[in-house]
Amino acid sequence: MELSVFDLSKSLSVSPNTIERWLRQGKLPVFKKGANYRFHTSELEQWASKHNISLNLMDKDALEKEKESIIPLSDAVKNGGVYFDIQANDVNSILKACLEKISGISDDFKEDLFERLVEREKALSTGIGNGIAIPHPREQLSYLTRPMVSVCFLEHPVDYKALDNQPVSILFFLLSPTLRMHLHLLSVLSFCLRDYQFTNFLKSRPDPLALVEKIEVLQKTNPI
Amino acid sequence: MSIIKNWYRTVYHKLFHLDDRLLLIIAGSIAGVCSGLAAVALRLSLESVLEWLHGFRHYGWAFIIPAIGALLSSLYLEKIAREGAGHGVPEVIYSVSRYGGLLRFRSSYSRLIASFLTIGSGGSAGPEAPVVMSGSAIGSNLAKFLGLNDRQRITLVGCGTAGAIASIFNAPIAGLVFSIEVILGEWKFVNIIPIAIAAVAGAQVSQAIIPEQVIFNHQAFLVSASDILPSLCLAVVTAMISVVFTKVLRRMGKIARKSSLPLWGRAIIGGCTVGIIGMGMPVVLGEGYHFIQSMISGTFSMSIFVIFVAVFAKIFATAMTLGWGGSGGIFAPCLLIGSLTGVVFHKALFGLFPEIGCASEGAYALLGMTGLISGVMQAPLTGIFLIVEITGGYETILPLIVVSSISSTMSHYIEPASFYFKELIERGQFLRPGTDARILSDLNIRELIDTGFVKVSENMVFREFIEIIKMSDQNFYPVIEDGTDEYKGVIQISAIRKYALDPGMYDMIFLSQIMDTKMMTASLENDLQEVLDMMDINNMDSISVVENDRFIGMILKTRILDLYRRELIMQTSVQ
Repeated sequence: MELSVFDLSKSLSVSPNTIERWLRQGKLPVFKKGANYRFHTSELEQWASKHNISLNLMDKDALEKEKESIIPLSDAVKNGGVYFDIQANDVNSILKACLEKISGISDDFKEDLFERLVEREKALSTGIGNGIAIPHPREQLSYLTRPMVSVCFLEHPVDYKALDNQPVSILFFLLSPTLRMHLHLLSVLSFCLRDYQFTNFLKSRPDPLALVEKIEVLQKTNPI
Repeated sequence: MSIIKNWYRTVYHKLFHLDDRLLLIIAGSIAGVCSGLAAVALRLSLESVLEWLHGFRHYGWAFIIPAIGALLSSLYLEKIAREGAGHGVPEVIYSVSRYGGLLRFRSSYSRLIASFLTIGSGGSAGPEAPVVMSGSAIGSNLAKFLGLNDRQRITLVGCGTAGAIASIFNAPIAGLVFSIEVILGEWKFVNIIPIAIAAVAGAQVSQAIIPEQVIFNHQAFLVSASDILPSLCLAVVTAMISVVFTKVLRRMGKIARKSSLPLWGRAIIGGCTVGIIGMGMPVVLGEGYHFIQSMISGTFSMSIFVIFVAVFAKIFATAMTLGWGGSGGIFAPCLLIGSLTGVVFHKALFGLFPEIGCASEGAYALLGMTGLISGVMQAPLTGIFLIVEITGGYETILPLIVVSSISSTMSHYIEPASFYFKELIERGQFLRPGTDARILSDLNIRELIDTGFVKVSENMVFREFIEIIKMSDQNFYPVIEDGTDEYKGVIQISAIRKYALDPGMYDMIFLSQIMDTKMMTASLENDLQEVLDMMDINNMDSISVVENDRFIGMILKTRILDLYRRELIMQTSVQ
């Protein structure tokens, strides 16, 4: 592979001016292609290891992949799905009942996921108040292929040991394959839930399509 | 014309595609031969003009001859060549460390002509420095012709220098050592071989053209263990003389610069003074190789008192020549003063202890030379190897090392910078590879600057700013004026944290109220040393760069560390 002066300046994290000076001083393994200077990746690697220089020949595809992996909350809700009329009467049974309903996860993992969710609830309740909870595991879930947010509406409000001691009736299950994604979704979700109109809208138990639409509108006003 | 162009292109490509080392060896030997020729030309012409002028020496008006020479030389340098006076070695060293050895083509002959006029007319100076200047300019221009890079050009400059010194003294190893010790300042494997070959080439040129006029014929000396103690004492004496010589040279230059006379007027005064001294003491005139030769061979017949006076007369005459506008170096005066000192010392020793069984006068003349070279130039290896090559054997090596090391150490203690480096150090231009000063001079502000900062307006409400902070990862926000884009101040996230965490403030304040306007700024013209000093004094981790009231970017200390380390690696380990 061949690199240009600009590519190399990125790999060595110096400015192109510096690369040009080093070329003038004769410090780099270079060859000329027409009027431009070019570097062979293999020669550069050899040179860098000989002189103990950290050369970061970055993989462009990997960088793009990382960018792609950020998806909006509305898509995550589409992945997760919306479920109504779940019957339960305490924290553990809520989690169990909801997990059984959520269709995006293979049954093999549900036991493990349930344990993780319970553990998280023991540490600190995810009931954020106003009748809403965001149950989620602490670690990233390597068995998921895509992030998902499942919205579950309970038949009756249940005591969830929430921060404001109000019984909970709406739960957002936040499940993500990477922590980065997890934090991003959590941030967008909590932004939405601070919106008074949105929470009132939630209490009307809207149908899934209307919910996704509403979220799309909200995340446009706060493009993180 | 097109034939020449084609030929040039073929040769160029053939050479360029050769192995790097082979290319340097070939180009280096060419540089060595050319600078050897320059040295021989200067020596031959000096020889003949001194002989011709010898016929006029007995006239009463002869004292103005050196004045005429110095006048012509200073006029030539000032009006025609337009180069500064002086010996040129500091210029070569500075060019090597700062501009990759870039020298003007004109330098390859201008100093030769100027020093020919000065020395030929009887001025007390050495032809070595001009030859070094011209040899290094030849090497530099050869590299330019071949389109080589800085590193290769520096090697060729070293080759030219080595060829010149080797040719003048017929001493290849002294040429190699001088070139590396004084001019390049670093012992690198890739440099040594081309420079050694160039030195041998230069020495061969002078042997081929003027075999009978080699300055120092190989001569063996009987030196025994009983010479160690006397050479210790001699070393102390030469160190003192070295310090006196350096101080007088510099003091004279300062006095001359203070006088309101034009350059040519100074040259006349200097030349006349030297001429008058020369009337009574012809030993001070010219480069003095003949006298050195006769002292080494032991045929120098002057009384001890006269020689003692001659030491100081020569010091004074050299200072008058070089300080007052003449052109030339200090290498030959060093040798002459050194050998005079050695002879005086030997005569005094025999006067006090007639029974002492030590070596001949010639041997002490050589030891004195080593002492002066090591003391004045603080180049101990050059001193040792020059004399070893002159004597053609290693019999004298022990006293040589004793004299050389003691003399250079003592004069270093009294005068930390050698004569060649002192000027550079005073101007802050002494930049040896791998030193802090060199790295800071190579890295310029444009290479360090971080750009692409989001700018904010001074009339922005804080809430709007909070939204911007959320979106970006920068820690500094330059604040500019609406409309004119003029730089107003900078907001550092760490400084506004307490407001940022208090939503009650969001709608209450504007950015102009929280920005830091007192923070110092740098400009693109500052060099890195100044910027770092500014940051150190004010205890800053970052500094904004502002040019014409426009914000350009920021310099962060973390970034400087990163680049400094890379630059250090590049300068010390990458060949």
